[in-house]
Amino acid sequence: MGDPKEITTLQTSTILISTIIGVGVLPLPLFAVRAGDTGAPLVTLSGIALAAIGLFIITVLGMRHPEKTIITYSQEILGKWMGRFCSLFVIFFFLILTGLASREFGEVVVSAVLRETPLEVTVIVMLLLACLSCRNNINVFSYIHNFYVPMILAPAMIVVVLSLKNANVLYLRPLIGTNFYDMFTGMLTISALFQGTFIITMIIPSMKTPNKALKASFWGISISGGLYLLLVIATVAVFGPEEIKQIFWPTLELARTTTVPGNILQRLDVIFLAVWVTAVFTTLFSSYFFTIHSIKEICHLKDHKMLSYFILPFVFILAMVPKDILQLYEVIQYVGRAGLLITIFYPGSLLLIDFIKGWRKKKSVSQQL
Amino acid sequence: MFHNNCKLRLIILFFLLFPLLSGCWDSQEIEQRATVLAIGIDVVDSKAPKEDEISHLKNQFPIPNEQMIKLTAQIAIPGRIPLGPEQTGGAEKPVLVMEVVGHTLDDAILNLQQELADKLFLGHLRIIVLNEKIAKRGTQRFNDFLKRNPEIRRTASLVVSKEPAAKYMKLSPELERVPSLYLADMVDNLTALGKFPPSFIGLFWAILSSKGQDPILPYLALKKGSNIQLNGFAYFHGDRMVGKTSPSEIGVYMSIIGIKKGGYGAFTKIPGKEEMVLVRAVSRNTKIKVRIKDGNPHVDIKVRYESEIDEKYSPTISLLKSKMIRDIDKQASKDTAKSIRDLIKKTQKTKSDIFGFGEHFRAKLPSYWNGKIKTKENWDRFYKDLTFDVHVETNIHRVGMKAK
Repeated sequence: MGDPKEITTLQTSTILISTIIGVGVLPLPLFAVRAGDTGAPLVTLSGIALAAIGLFIITVLGMRHPEKTIITYSQEILGKWMGRFCSLFVIFFFLILTGLASREFGEVVVSAVLRETPLEVTVIVMLLLACLSCRNNINVFSYIHNFYVPMILAPAMIVVVLSLKNANVLYLRPLIGTNFYDMFTGMLTISALFQGTFIITMIIPSMKTPNKALKASFWGISISGGLYLLLVIATVAVFGPEEIKQIFWPTLELARTTTVPGNILQRLDVIFLAVWVTAVFTTLFSSYFFTIHSIKEICHLKDHKMLSYFILPFVFILAMVPKDILQLYEVIQYVGRAGLLITIFYPGSLLLIDFIKGWRKKKSVSQQL
Repeated sequence: MFHNNCKLRLIILFFLLFPLLSGCWDSQEIEQRATVLAIGIDVVDSKAPKEDEISHLKNQFPIPNEQMIKLTAQIAIPGRIPLGPEQTGGAEKPVLVMEVVGHTLDDAILNLQQELADKLFLGHLRIIVLNEKIAKRGTQRFNDFLKRNPEIRRTASLVVSKEPAAKYMKLSPELERVPSLYLADMVDNLTALGKFPPSFIGLFWAILSSKGQDPILPYLALKKGSNIQLNGFAYFHGDRMVGKTSPSEIGVYMSIIGIKKGGYGAFTKIPGKEEMVLVRAVSRNTKIKVRIKDGNPHVDIKVRYESEIDEKYSPTISLLKSKMIRDIDKQASKDTAKSIRDLIKKTQKTKSDIFGFGEHFRAKLPSYWNGKIKTKENWDRFYKDLTFDVHVETNIHRVGMKAK
């Protein structure tokens, strides 16, 4: 990349945090409770752990090739054509992910806030914002994320803390769910909410000190994962598992139930939605950014600015494919779980091959000596 | 050249983004919306007015078996709701009361809209009053609409009324100009005073959905003039109201579910004398332990009261010795334990576990729950024959400012 290497470790963490926290916050407790009933926090925790493993793999890969992204080093590891072939899947997957996230955003807005506004308008406005912001270089990208993180974290924490007033600890027990197969698929679904972490492969080449990437990803996933876990605990404790199963967006409902003491605000969903829109924007921004930069690298383009517009209609069409909200969530869960092959299994095998190659090289070098 | 191009782009951008971001589709002037403040739901009398064909054509709609409902709505009249500090005077009524009928809640609301020029807005709905008769037929038929609609607040109150709910909509209380606000504040403030456990529609739904607990709702009755009294609570079995209690039993209920703040007082006889003192609960601490005794579920309830003596009834006795206070402690404990037992037995008859003992079993003994109970229906059967022990301990620390 032609940009100066200016991204600090802290900025890397904040990019990860604001990328992870996104549209998935709203249905998260529903996914967790469907899988594990009162064991929802445990399901969430295991999902976070699995996502952390994936992030760890991709970070180590990046640190072994500090000048390259997954698109370029996969060509080195797997061979030029095989690498490109696999990268195509990655790009296509993130294209779908961007589309689905924007559609989910539109669905929430249409059913909860702006009921008269056409779905297409909310979706395209969000995409347009991401599209325009993506024309900037990676440093601006990291500044934008850095700027929004406190605004995303603080109000979410406030909602969690204030909602605990209505909590019932009994709803959190027993800690383990009953059906282990369900818990396993739930773990995969939740882990899929963390797929934005893939963006780190784009950041490492621009980091000041790529050696510290592992530290950055550790903090990134701990803070965002911690917030996710707290949200699940709070929603389950307030509503109980059976009630959550009846609500699409338990987190939003949590904000609606929570009041600020002293009648300042009788419901917190206004604040929460404002924050959430920002969170969705940063997530979309990252996945959009990842998509166009990957395409730029695979095609050896010099500039990504025009590409940003070019992709927009495709993402929009993809976003409009699901017929209704029920189908949308079926698709999201399916795509998310299948995507784990791309975001965890694929980098995992890359790392394995890379290790074997490195080991062989060392061996042959020592034999020659 | 390139610079100009940039400017042009900016202009186009602004023209595109401003109309899009301002969300004009949903803009609605505040005086053009009919803000519903309160809703009352009643059963329709036999000589009901006929419903016009609004949300369905005649004979083309499988009419639900349930009886039709009469919905009374209190709608704010724009400009007449006093803002800020209460202004005195103003003879004009700030609300409009309308009545419609319908097969379901949404049907009734659609019918209501048909009679109004402004768009109905439910975002400020503070209280829903259900008549006792409709509550006894089940509330589930209303919950679906209320949960689906994004405007409804989960913090709105749901109450059961003794008299027709329509009466409550037409009340004009002296203390507050907006009747529905008075009604809603009544429920909220009584909770703050320790007269009622926290109660709002979101909590009602959460308890209704849970497997091991049945909900309760405040039960209101009208007194002279336009006064409203908290006349106990209505308890449910599933979504159907099955009975009501006396106001003093609210205190007993609160002690079992472990609400810390006490608010109720009770006359207690001084042992060995024919005199009474009024012992008022200041705070309480409840511990519920569940176990399996001889293969059946068993509950141990331990309540610790911190109380004070508010009033003594007769001048002939004097509260001088601490021994006497200890005696009163014991007597008060005995009385409370008895009323706790009575209340539990009363709810066992209707199989309504309003204390959430089932939740304790589900949470603390998961293997027993999953093996033997698992569903709400099974728990109802178990609850009926649930055995329990009650231990009450009262500590009177204060007697007020009078020495005798």
